[in-house]
Amino acid sequence: MGNWRLWLGIIACSFLILIAIFGPFFAPYEKDYVEPTGYYYNSSDDFGFYTSPYPPSKKHLLGTDQWGYDILTLLLYGAKYTLFVGIGVAFLRILIGGSLGIWFGLSNKEKKKTKQSIFGLLGSIPAFLIVYFLLVGITINSSLSVMELVLLQSFLMVIIGFPGVYAATYSKTSELRKEQFIIATKALGAGKLRILWKHILPHLRGTLLVMFVKEIILVLTLIGQLGIFNLFLGGTIFRLGGGDPPVYISISRDWAGLIGQWRSFVYDSQWILYFPLLAFIFLLFSFYMLSRGIELKHKSTLQKFPHI
Amino acid sequence: MRTTLSIAGVAAFIFLLATIPFSITITEGNLVIDFQVILFYVKDYVASIGNGEIFHYQVGKSGTYNLLADLPPYFLTSLQYLTLSGFITICMSMLVSAWSSKSKREWVKDIIGFLGTLPDFILILFLQLGVVFIYQSTGFKIAKVASRSADENAFLLPLITLTLIPTIYLIRTLSERTYDVLAEDYILSAKAKGLKKRHIYMHHVIRNVLPYLKADLHKVIAIMMSNLFIVEYLFNVRGLTTLLFGGTMYQYNLVVNTLFSLVLLYLLIYWLLRLLILIMERVFAHG
Repeated sequence: MGNWRLWLGIIACSFLILIAIFGPFFAPYEKDYVEPTGYYYNSSDDFGFYTSPYPPSKKHLLGTDQWGYDILTLLLYGAKYTLFVGIGVAFLRILIGGSLGIWFGLSNKEKKKTKQSIFGLLGSIPAFLIVYFLLVGITINSSLSVMELVLLQSFLMVIIGFPGVYAATYSKTSELRKEQFIIATKALGAGKLRILWKHILPHLRGTLLVMFVKEIILVLTLIGQLGIFNLFLGGTIFRLGGGDPPVYISISRDWAGLIGQWRSFVYDSQWILYFPLLAFIFLLFSFYMLSRGIELKHKSTLQKFPHI
Repeated sequence: MRTTLSIAGVAAFIFLLATIPFSITITEGNLVIDFQVILFYVKDYVASIGNGEIFHYQVGKSGTYNLLADLPPYFLTSLQYLTLSGFITICMSMLVSAWSSKSKREWVKDIIGFLGTLPDFILILFLQLGVVFIYQSTGFKIAKVASRSADENAFLLPLITLTLIPTIYLIRTLSERTYDVLAEDYILSAKAKGLKKRHIYMHHVIRNVLPYLKADLHKVIAIMMSNLFIVEYLFNVRGLTTLLFGGTMYQYNLVVNTLFSLVLLYLLIYWLLRLLILIMERVFAHG
């Protein structure tokens, strides 16, 4: 078993994609099904109420939430949003940032140094805060449809993330450009496009692939962080309960949103928080294994060894 | 000149960022960006410098408070958490990366790497669930799950979270660097001279890894700042970032002032950690 990480990653990721596409068909209940609250009466000594949240049982494999929604059903319905937005946003980031980085890395422009100091100070304002400010007026109780909101949020996440990919590919390309074989090709009269296509891209393919998978993980983290602050993928329903604390509900039921809306179930009925968390970790784990597998596959053979 | 320019750039960015919730709205299903609103709020902010209302903020419907009096405790709380975890992060990561750089076992890298990909909120929720689980099964309370009142903040779990995530990041980068340094010729020549392993580490390896740490410092603090938001929110710690999300009402002046204090906090932490590295340089490189 040479590269078991790669195989594990591929199998786990295909499993997730299958769930994302066909999940609703396997769901044990309808999306809006609510397990009713009721009472039982067997004898005068044996009676009582049963109310949601119901713990995991044969009827509800992963239990229900505080309103009686089946958690497994919600997870199966929400998977497609989390997964496809993660993959899509990461792909666009790599496509835009990567192609710009390679193009400008091949051109002769030198990087300005003033950028560095501004960038350093901007580190005090994390990326998710910028997205938070952009979305806070739009996502909660929005008049846009789920699809429109998902597209808008994805667009913002692409914009906020592609400069990082650009910087990384830029530095890699300008390093590669100094290699002997590139100089030789140039001396032989090859054009920019040929160098790009025949020499730079084959070298960067492995790196870009690893970067793509890692970028998926970063996007999922960003979605999760926004979810913690009640900005869910596909929109948030905000309700002021009379006397009760206000509730935030994810419309699309994406996994990060489920974690966000149930994050206070730490003290009791923990299964409500536990299963979405496990699902999310499994998602991260699959992509992590995939990236490790690809990384090890492409690991360079020119390795140095320590003396002590 | 460059520093002034970058400070001006950041200030403009903050002014713009804080207006976004007002200026970008959805009316009748269309996304509308209103530039008038941006100008209005920035003008209003500048005007409030003159009449001293710049530091006023509201809590609830009636109370108007002075931010200058209320901000320092929040600021100091965040500073305390960040300084402590920053110091632990740097010391731990130097130690562990020296050890893990020579480890050829891929599974060690697997575990460290996977821990590194776990987002902060997942780590926090698991720590909280874990503490509650241990309490419910054994009755032993390890740490506070979240702060309940203003006087006593949860301490242990926030500190663990704030330390663990940047430490893992640093271990991953520094162990690669240490590996490269160990392969250098001057290490071989030091070994050939018969110097002890400990001596080589103290006087050659650490000294040559420190510049990489210095170069990575901005990234490390950026990670810590990003974690700070989640940590203070989920553990209910009364730090600087809670001022941004605390109230039900969005107040432009409050948000702008808080963001400026965040930049100040960032700079303070940066210089404190630089000081620590300077001391380490004195001890290991010249001592």
